[in-house]
Amino acid sequence: MMKKTLFAGIAALGMLSATASAALAEWKPSGPIKLIIAFKAGGGADTQGRLIAEHIEKTRGWKVIPENVTGKGGVNALSALKDQPADGTAIGILVTESLGYNMAAAKKSGLKPSDFTPLATTAGFQMGLVAKTDKGWKSIDDVVAAAKTGQKIRFGAMSPRLADLAYLLGKAKGIEFNTVMVRGGKGVMNGLNAGDIDIGFGAGIQNKAVAAGDMINLASGMSTRLKISPDAPTLRELGVGFDADGYFVTVAPAGLPDEARAALTGAIEEAVTKEGSKAAGMMKKAFGGATVIKGAELDKLIQEGFDSAGVLMKASQ
Amino acid sequence: MTIGTHSNTKTNAILGVVVVVLALIIGFIWIPADIDTGIFEKARRRLEIGDAFAPTLATTLLGLGGALLIAEGLTSKSNLKVDARSLVFALGLLSVFAIFIALLLWTGPILVALFGAEGAEYRLLRDTAPWKYLGFITGGTFIVAALISFMEQRFTIKALVIGTVASLAMIILYDLPFDDLLLPPNGDF
Amino acid sequence: MSVLDYVWLGILAVFQGPELFSFFGMSVSITIAMVLAGFLLGIIVGSTPGLAGPMALAISLPILISIFGYSQEALLPVMGFLIGVMKGATVGGAVPAILFNTPGTPDAYMTTLDGYPMAQKGEAGKALRIAHFSSASGDTFSDIVLIVCAPFLAILVESYLDLPEKTALLILSMAFIAAVVGGSPAKGLISASLGLLIAYIGTGEDFTPRLTMGYQGVASGFPIAAVILGVLILGEVFKSIEDLWQENKKDQSLTKPVQHKASRLSFETIKGLFPYIARSAFIGTAIGALPGIGSTLAATLGYASGKFRHQKVQDQNATSFGNGAPEAIAATEAANSSVSGANLIPVLSLGIPGNASAVFLILAADSIGSFNPGPSVFRFTVDSVNPELVVAFGLFTMMMLANLMNWTIGGVFMRSMGIMALVPKQKLLPVILLLTLTAIYVQETKMAAVWFTIGFGFLGYFMRRLAISPLPLVIAFILGGRLEETARGAFSATGSDPWFLFSSYTSIAMLVAAVGVVFILSIKGKPSA
Repeated sequence: MMKKTLFAGIAALGMLSATASAALAEWKPSGPIKLIIAFKAGGGADTQGRLIAEHIEKTRGWKVIPENVTGKGGVNALSALKDQPADGTAIGILVTESLGYNMAAAKKSGLKPSDFTPLATTAGFQMGLVAKTDKGWKSIDDVVAAAKTGQKIRFGAMSPRLADLAYLLGKAKGIEFNTVMVRGGKGVMNGLNAGDIDIGFGAGIQNKAVAAGDMINLASGMSTRLKISPDAPTLRELGVGFDADGYFVTVAPAGLPDEARAALTGAIEEAVTKEGSKAAGMMKKAFGGATVIKGAELDKLIQEGFDSAGVLMKASQ
Repeated sequence: MTIGTHSNTKTNAILGVVVVVLALIIGFIWIPADIDTGIFEKARRRLEIGDAFAPTLATTLLGLGGALLIAEGLTSKSNLKVDARSLVFALGLLSVFAIFIALLLWTGPILVALFGAEGAEYRLLRDTAPWKYLGFITGGTFIVAALISFMEQRFTIKALVIGTVASLAMIILYDLPFDDLLLPPNGDF
Repeated sequence: MSVLDYVWLGILAVFQGPELFSFFGMSVSITIAMVLAGFLLGIIVGSTPGLAGPMALAISLPILISIFGYSQEALLPVMGFLIGVMKGATVGGAVPAILFNTPGTPDAYMTTLDGYPMAQKGEAGKALRIAHFSSASGDTFSDIVLIVCAPFLAILVESYLDLPEKTALLILSMAFIAAVVGGSPAKGLISASLGLLIAYIGTGEDFTPRLTMGYQGVASGFPIAAVILGVLILGEVFKSIEDLWQENKKDQSLTKPVQHKASRLSFETIKGLFPYIARSAFIGTAIGALPGIGSTLAATLGYASGKFRHQKVQDQNATSFGNGAPEAIAATEAANSSVSGANLIPVLSLGIPGNASAVFLILAADSIGSFNPGPSVFRFTVDSVNPELVVAFGLFTMMMLANLMNWTIGGVFMRSMGIMALVPKQKLLPVILLLTLTAIYVQETKMAAVWFTIGFGFLGYFMRRLAISPLPLVIAFILGGRLEETARGAFSATGSDPWFLFSSYTSIAMLVAAVGVVFILSIKGKPSA
């Protein structure tokens, strides 16, 4: 992250030409914007946040300072963000699961969706249920058959919500998985490769291995089928009443003025969708393109995610 | 490694007792009070290892280590060098750090309040020169000069100069080339 | 992808990294430049008494990460620099030991015994050449052993060890480190269990962070850098500050000894030294491969074994050990230098750091991401490329590159570093302290992190005063999270079997060994490390 002010001149030119967004550009943060990233520095999610920050700095001229606050599935980042001033000088990037299941499960944090102003989603996950090809399984039914012969199936999950879904999948199929909690998508991949786990959820990290034929998506964790494995059925089709739909999402503390919300949302949307921007390029490569949900539609999505979390937790008890 | 020559048979045994007491406090008060799940947990109808398991195990090992140390201390001589002077030294050093951090945190906001524009806030100026450097230069100069003076047991202008130069050098090292890095205390605002 | 393909990719990764500048049409990759810069810095640091390799590693890491960022491309330049520092410091330690009778690094202490007498006899140049030659030989040998052994060990571990055995292996490593390095097994146990406890603060599976006393600042655990730099670096700095404060009036005037004969080492000399170097290189490598035992013990053993041989073989007229025997320098330097390469065997094959330098390599890999030292690195894939394996071979390439630099320019540069011993510690330490705290802040951007570092500094300080080694604490802190995770995984994976640790003979054997090592060493007392 070499000095960007070296390119200050170029950036200034960019600002002059950005007259198209002149209406939005009327709002201006009163100081540098703190961008709280809920992921470990270095990963794809972190890079995404930093590229968005870079784009905003370049096109809007607002100073954005990224900061990583990790842990507890984004709940720590939300706690940190909640105490920040709601004037557009503090925003966060995390996943919708943080505002839904994780927030609902972290009762002691006292957080609720109304503590935040959602801005926009940036990308959706391609959540798949993966196994290594050399296991010989072609579908979930093969896994179920193996389990019924007495083989213990180890299921790697990277969050409690996914562990709940694993449990429900087992219940729907009349088998029991030995669910192993692992650290992130990387943990799932390492576990599969080392033979420590048999199947696990991957949020897109498996795509390369699936394309190469080393791994196979046995099911889609989402409400829709996977782009890369259209033949794999969804969890709902397999009899589980829930899905693992999720997005990366940007939020601000509650009480953000409307013009600030509009300006920030616009800036983020532009960063992830505009042809030629580094962030947009990265979204395409890592997540198959940006998915922007904003405004009232996003408010509804977040609230529903929070409300349905309780139902899922109850169902898997 | 310099280890002193005080041959005090009991020092290790005393240390062992302190460690055992500490382990008991952690194990019986802190862990039960400050961990929400137990040593084992029921989750999704299965028994899982809870959040208290690993800390309890670590505490047990700590207590065991303390007990072993008591046994060792009673049978063999120790060569420890910890006395009242170490405590005085530690307290002195701690107060130097306290002043250092206070200077880092408050120099900027106080100067902004005194000399900044009407209604200016340090939070909004935390990325604007020269405001963003004020705390670091005063704090940095102070701690380097204070520690040099402490070790030499005299105060010299040279120590002050070294402190200032070192602080400036670190600004050149961290702040000038990197846009995203924040020097102390600017991430706290 | 065959093994050779991976080796080749690793070499390419180093030489075809991002271009720094081109030299007569040949592009020089930034990675190579970083290895060189690290190596030279390492020699400077090693030659400065009071500064050691780990300290330089600790301070440069955050700066490097700021420069290179967290991308995959950052890994090799950053790791290259750190490897360079590690190797340079190993060589540099002998300089002030020979010239001024003050070891630049702790493991160069034995070098003072014969190096300084040689210098007093006007043979400083020869002593330095011998130290350099022996050090470079030992280091290179050790690296070769690493490159050959680590992949096999890793594959073995990955294919034969399941979650329960992996848990047992972690327990065994920690028990071993605690028993061997702690000062005494009891103190080692205390140190290691404190490290575990610290690792468990603020972490855990539950959404309510544990053991935080309601303080949100540790909700995601203590920053790794704050614990490691605090205990290892600040603790040492505080101790030195106190020592200097107490001996303040002592006037240190160092004069560089005169040198009569500036001599190249003749083939005859080298031939005479070779048996000592070879013997010590074996000892150092064997010791280095075990986690937790440092180069100081290797130096002591190498010196002792050299002395034994010297008494048996050499004629009566030869200078005896302790009075300026060239063989003694060779034996010591070959032994302590051959630790560093072998030390990375447990790091790369198991992800278990054995000494302070390895701790910082793990910290670097962990901070940058995309490379997790451990068995999964050595997965030789057929159809696709395993990028971590390429990185591993890139690391090996950089180590050999650093050795090459050591052989070619290391000696000359090293011999010019006598001046570093003249830097007054009183002025250097406070600047290092400020630099360390600033580095932590820049990474964590929270004043709380600075407080944590200072707090852990005091912990490290008191541990040193109480003769408790802080190394088990740091290693247990690094492994603590993994230990818990693996144990949890093993428990769940075996269908909540409370006896999962006793489910196979391998894991039972490891547990028995773990208990045994602590037990035996508490009875017999520990070897002087």
